[in-house]
Amino acid sequence: MATQTTPPSQSNVIGRSVARIDGPLKTTGTAQYAADFHFPNMAHAVPVQSTIASGRIEKLDAAAAQSMPGVLLVLHHGNMDKLYRVVPNDFSATTSEARPPFEDRTIYYWGQYVAVVVAETLEQATAAAAAVKVEYSQTPAKLSTNLGDYAGKRPSVSQRGDAEKAFAAAPIKVDQTYVTPAETHNPIEMHATVAAWEGDSVTLYETSQGVVNHRYAMAQVLGIPRENVTVVTRFLGSGFGGKLFPWPHSALAAVASRRLQRPVKLSVNRTMMFSNVGHRPLCEQRFQLGATTDGKLLSLRQDYINHTSLIDDIDEGCGEATTYLYSVPSLTVTRALAQRNVGTPSPMRGPGAVPGLFAMESAMDELAVALNMDPVELRLRNDATKDESNGQPFSSRHLKECIETGAAKFGWKQRTPAVGSMRRDGRVLGWGMAAASWGAYRFPCAATVALEVDGRVTVRCATQDVGTGTYTIFAQVLQEKTGLPFERIGVHLGDTSMPEGPMSGGSWATASVLPAVSSAADSVVKTLLQVANSTAGSPFAGVDPAKLQLTAGRVHQAGEPAETGVPFEKLIAMARLSRISADGNTTAIFEDPKAKGLSLHSFGAQFVEVEWEPQIARLRVSRVVTVIDGGRIINPKAAANQIKGAVVMGVGMGLLEQTVYDPRTGQPINGNMADYLMATCPDTPEIDVTFLDYPDLAMGEYGARGIGEIGLAGVAPAIASAVYHATGVRVRTLPVRIEDLLQSRIREA
Amino acid sequence: MAEKPTLREDQQLLDLEPLGQIGSEASASGGQLTRRTFLSGLGAAGLVASAGPLSAAAAPMGQAEGAAGAHTVLTVNGEQHDLGMLDTRVTLLDALRERLYLTGTKKGCDHGQCGACTVHVDGRRVNSCLTLAVMVSGKEITTIEGLGVPGRLHPMQAAFVEHDGYQCGYCTSGQIMSAVALLKEPVGPSDHDVKEGMAGNICRCGAYPNIVAAFQQVRNHSTMNG
Ligand code: FES
Ligand code: FES
Repeated sequence: MATQTTPPSQSNVIGRSVARIDGPLKTTGTAQYAADFHFPNMAHAVPVQSTIASGRIEKLDAAAAQSMPGVLLVLHHGNMDKLYRVVPNDFSATTSEARPPFEDRTIYYWGQYVAVVVAETLEQATAAAAAVKVEYSQTPAKLSTNLGDYAGKRPSVSQRGDAEKAFAAAPIKVDQTYVTPAETHNPIEMHATVAAWEGDSVTLYETSQGVVNHRYAMAQVLGIPRENVTVVTRFLGSGFGGKLFPWPHSALAAVASRRLQRPVKLSVNRTMMFSNVGHRPLCEQRFQLGATTDGKLLSLRQDYINHTSLIDDIDEGCGEATTYLYSVPSLTVTRALAQRNVGTPSPMRGPGAVPGLFAMESAMDELAVALNMDPVELRLRNDATKDESNGQPFSSRHLKECIETGAAKFGWKQRTPAVGSMRRDGRVLGWGMAAASWGAYRFPCAATVALEVDGRVTVRCATQDVGTGTYTIFAQVLQEKTGLPFERIGVHLGDTSMPEGPMSGGSWATASVLPAVSSAADSVVKTLLQVANSTAGSPFAGVDPAKLQLTAGRVHQAGEPAETGVPFEKLIAMARLSRISADGNTTAIFEDPKAKGLSLHSFGAQFVEVEWEPQIARLRVSRVVTVIDGGRIINPKAAANQIKGAVVMGVGMGLLEQTVYDPRTGQPINGNMADYLMATCPDTPEIDVTFLDYPDLAMGEYGARGIGEIGLAGVAPAIASAVYHATGVRVRTLPVRIEDLLQSRIREA
Repeated sequence: MAEKPTLREDQQLLDLEPLGQIGSEASASGGQLTRRTFLSGLGAAGLVASAGPLSAAAAPMGQAEGAAGAHTVLTVNGEQHDLGMLDTRVTLLDALRERLYLTGTKKGCDHGQCGACTVHVDGRRVNSCLTLAVMVSGKEITTIEGLGVPGRLHPMQAAFVEHDGYQCGYCTSGQIMSAVALLKEPVGPSDHDVKEGMAGNICRCGAYPNIVAAFQQVRNHSTMNG
């Protein structure tokens, strides 16, 4: 049949695997990231870092540096332009560190910027930065990695029933403390700012996961009107949360550029990446679980504490997933902060939930051992049917199916529970599992869609593609709405001169942009059909627009084949227009009546196999099965890639990653990519990803919830569970170390 | 008064051009690389070089940079660039990025630890951040820009597109340069062998499974047909 009925959807492109539209740019080095921007007469800035963790700058001598060849400017506390703070807790204009750079002479952490040298070339600036002499008076630095001696207040995060009493009375108990270390985001793209002023307006080419917030925040920091700041992030070399909010180097570049009246590039180096642009804080969590002898949870208590900087109070929020994942009548969660002389922490992929789930799911694994019960069975027995923290029903929860599907795919039935009881090819196998969860959010977004006279459809939105495939998601919606091929679709993102879009964080970008683009596309088509009706000479002049439709780029009578119609660009030309455009908007989820009274979360299950070679104390993650309930998946190809990438990061979290601060100096002593170990290609296990793909319609017409964080949740505890199964060693402090494994009594494979 | 900052011509183009599907080899051939597309992909290197997209005219190079200088001529993607008396502290990576504006090669660590800066020098992969520019004066340097361009991708680039061998794309130039060089190295046939061969290129996005798949596809096609 050639005739098509009015399709709300032109194709099945939503939910289909498509290659990213930016692939050819990324694979040819053509995609432009912040540090790739160059301007005539551009100067290079290199910061000078503090070599102590706590104290005061007594003297800063820049004379030698200033007189070195090519040096244009040395900025420091003594000669810095006035900078301002942002309004506390204003979530539309957030900086990472409350304190603007060089605000005072106090040193709060090792590596803090104390000066910045600007020179004609990068080499000159680097050499001169090393020649800036700084004298400090030192005060004792707080650097202890032991958070256990905290004696301050522990404010309540969540509370129901009487966890203390229920725990005391419970026949089966687990009471353990778990530690997750400071971790560094380490995107391969280092943070950078290229600042260029024109009169009293500045353009910042940035490594930003939130160009709009960056604009608002920097306008406040620089004390200039918002419209005088443009922020551009065309491509972002990922961020994992570290690039959500501006860091001090952005202001340094802006001020240097204004002083010199020249464009300035400041690229943070890898050493600074460990001290000056955030990290996941060290967390210590005590978990107390009480259960019946048949494995029903009676009580759950989580007391967590994380370190923070002296400048900012950053709560990691380890209770994120604790309160609703399982059914438990009595629950208490408390939090606490311990100040340390370290840089300010910032959200890192799955903040709160990821370390929180390491502790909770490890405790559940220990409970399963105490009960002599299969860990899968224990989870299923405690599945929650509503969010017990607030009594709300879940919008769409399929944790049980995640666990059952994962168990089937993994072959969990073959598991023998005894420690060290499974073997393959001369290696001991360990099988472990954990559940995962992450919240679902949707934030305001505006987007403009235009049908252009050249036959293309374009969309503009000041959000950015952190690397997850946001460009392609915009293109998919436009293709769905207009039937045009990707070749005729243009997506413009990452520039604050366009309508304001969301941050790329918290897994909410996809859910936030979809309604805006979709509604803009719908209105633009509606206007087009009206133009078709009202334009003199149009074959559809006088035809009721309700009887017209746009299919495969052609306007035609409903019920007639698309081929009988007219290309939309012809109609636009007939009407003597350059384009027809329309705006669309997304409202925040908490203002949406459809989502009111619902608990919105994604769920997942991780199944992990480790291979243990006791003779040489070698451990490897060999196989992972991941099942994700993340709402509807818009582009399964990019989504599976993202989940696999998160699992790879989880292997790092479980076995490799830890930022180690030198207890004497506070310097991240492994602050480079050879000593801070991350998973490399050979560390990659075989990974099997399944999406349950149930649309969550409370999130919007497409039912997407976002999947940026959930893939990492649950991986580390599943590894620790597998490690226990293989070796009998219970690791409660990440990462799993060879020293831990040497305690194993399993000596032979 | 400062000069009004302006973008280079090619940057302006890119800035104004929205992202669209730039006809990729991958979609055109459905990933079925023939010997012909493989060879024509390789041929693209010559085309790009002669197109010479970038001029070094605006670079603050040559005279009196404050350290020892050495006359340096870099042959990049077949084209000679006379950098004059170049500061001997300049790495090949910074020469490419900051003097020749060939920004496709990325800096991920500057210490030879991540592989983002991988280029070919006389056909072998090297970390350009660990190579001083003066050391490679007169040698044949190939960067990602010399491999293929959008619309005329090298088979490895096309395979990365097809297999989604990246997410953010920042490690990608290095991964592809490494992978292309690895094709000529004595590497075993298994995925495990390929993983070891690619161990020097870190991808924080963790696109490793797809990178290995892309490599295997190109290798299998090129040996099958050649
Ligand atoms: S930048 Fe050269 S190896 Fe990392
Ligand atoms: S694609 Fe992002 S680091 Fe590899």
